[in-house]
Amino acid sequence: MGLVQRVLEARGIPTVALSMIPELTRAVGVPRLAGISYPMGRPLGQPHDADGQRAVLRQVLELLSSAPGPDTYVELPFVWPESPAQARNASKDLPPPPIVELLKRKPWLLAYLYSGRIPHDAPAA
Amino acid sequence: MIDSYRFLDFASRQVMKAWAARQEPGIIPFTPLAKPLRECTIALVSTAGIARNDDRPFDQERERRDPWWGDPSFRVIPLGTTEQEVRIYHLHIDPRFGQADLDVVLPMRRLAELAHDEVVGRAAPQHYSLMGYILDPTVVVEKTAPAIADSMCADHVDAAALVPA
Repeated sequence: MGLVQRVLEARGIPTVALSMIPELTRAVGVPRLAGISYPMGRPLGQPHDADGQRAVLRQVLELLSSAPGPDTYVELPFVWPESPAQARNASKDLPPPPIVELLKRKPWLLAYLYSGRIPHDAPAA
Repeated sequence: MIDSYRFLDFASRQVMKAWAARQEPGIIPFTPLAKPLRECTIALVSTAGIARNDDRPFDQERERRDPWWGDPSFRVIPLGTTEQEVRIYHLHIDPRFGQADLDVVLPMRRLAELAHDEVVGRAAPQHYSLMGYILDPTVVVEKTAPAIADSMCADHVDAAALVPA
């Protein structure tokens, strides 16, 4: 996502990103970033919490005008109401992503994932 | 200080930390806002892999066959599209939250409300979605993102907000 943001910004469109993993997004190098401690899949907050979602979006958008230069990073003050275990529990009935299934079968491929060297001849299934 | 890895399981945490340590940001682009925020047309970009039901689905089958691959294309989501009219194809998140309320991942209604409250000028007529978790970003960077930029320019978008999933 950070790479897309960089392309848009370089094309002359001011951008801001929200991120639940701000350390990773920031490491990519983005112009404006708002970090939030929310679980994956729910970047704006809980379904049907319009006030909470609007408060998050408003603070994200305000960074467009307040950022003095590239690599501006702010941490949003919102607190998720569940523990990480509770947040993960809500989704534990879902099948794991394909890459997780693959690594369960062939754990030695984890080294590829760590290093970012994608096996183009795909020792997949 | 936010713990970036708080909500992740142990394995994802280790992988993301390794990725973060490997990045080299180089020169970071910066385009100042050309006018006050309250006059700006804003477009949203979501990496939840959202496609309209009447549009081409994102390719989940190929990712299931080759987990190193992710569909690098994008979809236009017109302003006013509702959760009933889309499907979320991202295979690494629980899609049910965004499927119950699209604003959880693509806050078009919230953006329209902020335009009504004069925080921003207006919501753009078109918003965008692509898949997150694309391990090889070459096509996204060289083709997809420039195509989104072209579309935003055609819509006279003044600024964009990117929302992860």
